[in-house]
Amino acid sequence: MSEAAPGRIVDAGELRRDVEETPEVCVVGSGAGGAVVAARLAERGKRVVVLEEGGHYPPEKMQMDEAWAFPALYQERGQRATADLAITVLQGRAVGGSTVVNWTTSFRTPPRVFRHWAEVSGISGLDERALEPHFQAVEERLHIGPWPLEAVNANNHVLWEGAGRLSWDREVIRRNVFGCQDLGYCGTGCPAGAKQSADQTFLADAVRDGARVYAHARVTRLEKAGKRIAAVVGQALDPSTLKPTGRKVVVRPKLVVLSGGAINTPALLLRSGYDPSGRVGKRTFLHPVVASAAVFPDKVEGYYGAPQSVSSHHFADRGKGRVGFFLEAAPLHPILVATSLGGFGVTHEDEMARLPYTNGLIALAIDGFLPEEEGGTVSIRSDGRVRLDYKIGREVWEALREGNKALARVQLAAGASMVYSFHEDPVVMRTEAEVALLDRAPWEPLRVGVFSAHAMGGCAMGRDPEKSVVDARLKLHWLDNTWVVDGSVFPTSLGVNPQETIFAIAHWASDHIASAAG
Amino acid sequence: MLRRSRYRRERILLPGESEGRRNFLRWGLAGTAILAVGGASWLFTRRTRPMSLGGPLLALSPVEATVVLALSERLLPPHGSFPRPLDVDLPRRVDAIVAMAPEATQAEIRQLVRLFDNALASFLLDGQFHTFTESTLEQQDARIAAWQASRHAIRRTGYKALKRLVYAGYYGAKETWAAIGYPGPPPFTSPERKVEPQPQKPPEPKRPPPRARPPEAAPAPRPVEEAPAPRSGMDLPAEGPP
Repeated sequence: MSEAAPGRIVDAGELRRDVEETPEVCVVGSGAGGAVVAARLAERGKRVVVLEEGGHYPPEKMQMDEAWAFPALYQERGQRATADLAITVLQGRAVGGSTVVNWTTSFRTPPRVFRHWAEVSGISGLDERALEPHFQAVEERLHIGPWPLEAVNANNHVLWEGAGRLSWDREVIRRNVFGCQDLGYCGTGCPAGAKQSADQTFLADAVRDGARVYAHARVTRLEKAGKRIAAVVGQALDPSTLKPTGRKVVVRPKLVVLSGGAINTPALLLRSGYDPSGRVGKRTFLHPVVASAAVFPDKVEGYYGAPQSVSSHHFADRGKGRVGFFLEAAPLHPILVATSLGGFGVTHEDEMARLPYTNGLIALAIDGFLPEEEGGTVSIRSDGRVRLDYKIGREVWEALREGNKALARVQLAAGASMVYSFHEDPVVMRTEAEVALLDRAPWEPLRVGVFSAHAMGGCAMGRDPEKSVVDARLKLHWLDNTWVVDGSVFPTSLGVNPQETIFAIAHWASDHIASAAG
Repeated sequence: MLRRSRYRRERILLPGESEGRRNFLRWGLAGTAILAVGGASWLFTRRTRPMSLGGPLLALSPVEATVVLALSERLLPPHGSFPRPLDVDLPRRVDAIVAMAPEATQAEIRQLVRLFDNALASFLLDGQFHTFTESTLEQQDARIAAWQASRHAIRRTGYKALKRLVYAGYYGAKETWAAIGYPGPPPFTSPERKVEPQPQKPPEPKRPPPRARPPEAAPAPRPVEEAPAPRSGMDLPAEGPP
């Protein structure tokens, strides 16, 4: 009774009647996790249906315009944040997930993260050795390679230069691009088709091998029957209003793979009444970010060129009892900058008027590694909306403050004439000595801008079903036919941008899922 | 009283309210009480008169759009070559952004706007007897600053919500870009695309000629005239309701 032919991307918003599918595998979400599972199972001849809440935007539809991209390509139309708005959360919502809008930064998981996970979660079998062939496979498929130093844009070069003068570790980032035009608009969707995002790579492979993808199909509920998910119930969304059209997409698969990301996957489980151990939506980690702006005598034009190409992990491990952080750059387009800067009125206008001469760097706190850290919580409001809470603990605030100081020192070392923080009452620094002013600034919610582009955790893997959500093979502890394959399975954050870890873990998990599929 | 009961049903639930936490809850109830008592007291005579903003609104009421305009006049005061908020039709841009949110969120934002404007709330919190719109410029700036720096996190949340809406709406308008020296997206026409890159192709990215240099090397300035119109005339909100 379905309307679609196999092996294609269907816009569910255009369905004229309800659809029921009975594939072997249903994948919910089409980002770095779901696209890989779909491809690897379709490759083995499994019939796969993918349900994706977002729209399908091939390169020729991309606008290089934030006012278009935030509502079109981001969760909650670009307005996702913690409930108190203290942390704004950038997360993609499209066929291809966040990989459609991320800045192409590709890191393998640091080995110390696997060691920590084994220690705290009792899981075994997931480490850099086990993942080696999977890292290789995704690096090949995503064309992950180093970005040449001579192509690093001026905005990133500030970090290269400053870290170099301070003798801090620094490196050029590897990126998943092929034929990159160096435009600088990764965050609004690559118009060149150069970004090797999930939709351009693994999902395309899945479709080639017969997978059927429904875009604008929001999964609202999982129906349980005994120890199985028997049905995945989705509603079709109108492509322009994103309101339900009234048409339903119901999938009755043998196996279910949840890949909606670290906020939407826990939310779906909670909406479906699945939380046997009370751990769903707990331990959500965000890599909380502070930013620092610097004014240079010459133009930086942080809105052009590959947005993220240099990083410093010099402070990733700050010793026992401390939260580490790492340093990167962020692209400087008008809406992102204007909604992030502190202050209002003429102060804010003056900051904006210097945009072409402004450099923007970020420090990302590596949360979740201290025993006292609980991270954030995903829950469901009474009206059904998802809710994210994250109380920034003392240790994370300390890391954000020290991270901000490190950024200011980098910018001054690289020749900035002025550096200012993202406090509502911005701290202005012109000399190295003035960096200490940041010690006296208020480090409290909504007095300084805090951001996140890396949502992780919420369905943590672990051996003990009472203390975790999925097992060491990413299967839900209490169900026989359902896996979670996305960033939500991380027991902590990563300390690096997460996309390659998610791609690789999905590649690895696909083998386990395939053997269960028979 | 009719009006009172009408307001009582609408509990103030700001975007940041933590439903389970007592201090936030108390604040929420206080906000409801303010809107309710405001309806019964002489301060209720102080009301914002809706401006005619030309054309229908999608989410905000005319009064709320008038408050948003007054607020944006102070978040973006006359300065240099910055266009005035009305020049870029800002109330309607903000309205379009609000209209994209789920209905419950829309209701929260609208209540926030009304509370921000409310004379009684302003009296109780900041000792000002006026609605926001009828206050002097100095009083308006003081009220924004009071929300911005409030010791109540919930008011800072309210400030942040309003600020984000106004700045996202304003800088989404291409007419504002000249004032901040943003040339817009670079020239780009769809090149010969590798439609389906194969794994066996070399993993090294094709290197473009390096455009960027370290700041001290003075990158060539990119004149504004060089900036092309974006590839589509699609404007905010591309996906918004009609």
